[in-house]
Amino acid sequence: MFVNFFYTLRERGIPVTPTSFLRLQKAMHKGLVHSLDDFYTVARSVLVKSERYFDTYDQIFAHHFKNASLEDPTAVELNEVARAMLEEWLQNPKELADLLGIDKDQLKKMTPDELIQYFLDRLKEQTEAHHGGNKWIGTGGTSPTGHSGYHPGGMRVGGVSRNHSAIKVALERRYRDYSQEGPLTQIQMGEAMKRLRRMAPTGPKDIVNVDKTIYETMRNAGEIEIIFDRRLTDRLKVVLLIDNGGWSMEPYIDVVQTLFHYASSQFKDLKIFFFHNTIYNRVWADAQRYYKPQDVDDFIRWDPETRIIIVGDANMAPYELMYPNGSIYLEERQTGPSIERLRFIAKTFRHCAWLNPMTVHEWYYSRTVETIRQVFPMFELTLDGLEKAVTHLTTSGK
Amino acid sequence: MVEGPQEFIMVLEKNNPRFTGASQYVLDDELAKIVNVSMALEMPLLLKGEPGTGKTMLAHAIAQSLQMPLIVLNVKSSMKLIEALYQYDTLTRLNDSRFGDSKRNVSDIEAYIKMGKIGQAFTADKKTVLLIDEIDKADTDFQDDMLDVLDQMQFDIIEIDKTIKAKHRPVIVITSNAKKDLSDPFLGRCNFHHIAFPDPDMMRLIVNVHFPKLDDELMKVCITTFYRLRELRGIEKKPATRELINWIRALKSDPDFKPKTLYQGRVPFLGVLFKKSADLQQATQQIIKSRG
Repeated sequence: MFVNFFYTLRERGIPVTPTSFLRLQKAMHKGLVHSLDDFYTVARSVLVKSERYFDTYDQIFAHHFKNASLEDPTAVELNEVARAMLEEWLQNPKELADLLGIDKDQLKKMTPDELIQYFLDRLKEQTEAHHGGNKWIGTGGTSPTGHSGYHPGGMRVGGVSRNHSAIKVALERRYRDYSQEGPLTQIQMGEAMKRLRRMAPTGPKDIVNVDKTIYETMRNAGEIEIIFDRRLTDRLKVVLLIDNGGWSMEPYIDVVQTLFHYASSQFKDLKIFFFHNTIYNRVWADAQRYYKPQDVDDFIRWDPETRIIIVGDANMAPYELMYPNGSIYLEERQTGPSIERLRFIAKTFRHCAWLNPMTVHEWYYSRTVETIRQVFPMFELTLDGLEKAVTHLTTSGK
Repeated sequence: MVEGPQEFIMVLEKNNPRFTGASQYVLDDELAKIVNVSMALEMPLLLKGEPGTGKTMLAHAIAQSLQMPLIVLNVKSSMKLIEALYQYDTLTRLNDSRFGDSKRNVSDIEAYIKMGKIGQAFTADKKTVLLIDEIDKADTDFQDDMLDVLDQMQFDIIEIDKTIKAKHRPVIVITSNAKKDLSDPFLGRCNFHHIAFPDPDMMRLIVNVHFPKLDDELMKVCITTFYRLRELRGIEKKPATRELINWIRALKSDPDFKPKTLYQGRVPFLGVLFKKSADLQQATQQIIKSRG
């Protein structure tokens, strides 16, 4: 039954559904599980649906089925009981029914769901009844489910193979690398690209508009009239503005840049500019921010449908954003407050998004992030965030 | 690809075919268990993993080992579910009705219905292996709808008001390259396995399957070099199993090549391993550097 195992998985954030749990029971019914090894593999493939959780699963499994790392030894006992109950129920429902002092037919009437709940309730009762919640299962009481308690049917404890190699496997934590949730890494890039590709309006390669053709043909009383549509894919313009100054952006710059260089194969019209911390009069087309300046004022001549993506941590001294002469570079003195520049961009282009490599929790510690968030919709630079940003860029303003 | 006589390693219990591996595919115990459980539970098996870990090959291996026909549905981004089920060939019908030079009966719509890949798997006379390759390319609606069809093992052909029921439930293998998870309802209906990149021992077995007579010395040095090359920094597409196999083939075909070369840190035919020019450049530079 492994109810406790199931709940631990859920508690630790693995989305395990009851349906899949019952499916696991079914697999055991069918005699597909002969050892702890089998259980490890089968339970994982049935319950855990992403390699991201494999590491967590390994840890919980190792924790659950081996007492080495266990602080509370009684948890092992509970598992023994849960395991035993499972075994008994699968092999000999009558015996278990007798043990629990309940009619077998009554037990049979229960759906597996109810049954699980029933077992769990019984286990909880035991907790309260015996040791004031200190220990889960009484070890010397008269409880039928107790370890060495009174059990007329002679319940076997722990019928599952003692082969511990599954635990060894679990302890190896082979899937540690897959559990990273943090910002985009190089490896995740390809996937992120797929998300971006969605931004280019897709649609059938076939440029005949079939629906309209049929409609028009009908209107023509069956004389075929073929309607052509323009291709949509080439229209999208993307401008990428990257904050490549300051130590805070340093770790991300490679990732960001590579990411959008890939994008150039997707978007016919992709421009990349760089800035430091925030945007004043100019941005630069070269990463050194020296040779190829581009006046922000010229942005207004660009297609208003252009998608603007700004990548930066938006974290700086407030005066850089708010004061008219806020730029930290001497040659950039007469600027007007940078926040006005940002508002100008947001007003000129209706499809804007700001990608922030810092995690959402960190945003709240920075005042400038808050201010900029009021101007641009801000997203985390993670797969999820990127997807949200892309969705936003494709749908906003419509 | 298939070299030499094919040997099937198969354990046939009474009406209970179990999958243990095929001649060109090295299967680890874990995966074998999962395949067997999925077949017993009659659930699709979703496979994820780096390119080159043999996701697609697994379906071929299952088909080979259980001697079932394999039907491959290559999912494309623009694909609609209906294409995977059946196609109503309206164009041919239009043509027939206008010029009438075929033997088909124009008023019989069924004559113009062609089965798609899923349809073929359902209507096949014997149990088949249905491989749905790269499901992540399609959008979520496609994925969910497809799972509905596979769940119920039937679909309707609207044009002729007929329900196609699966004669035999196919063994379904679905592969995905996505790092991102598929939708929850989808995952809920599949068994899942992630194929990790094979470790050197496993790789030795895999190479052995492809080159049974390979010299031990050469094998060892090739695999060591290969894993070292995978560790190089800044590589966008790391060489995978396929590249290793091709690379060894290239080394073998070069009469001047000696394992000593690899020991000295020189790596011939780098282009076989690194397919992108930027990667190749990176790798070359780092190899030169490491040689001092």
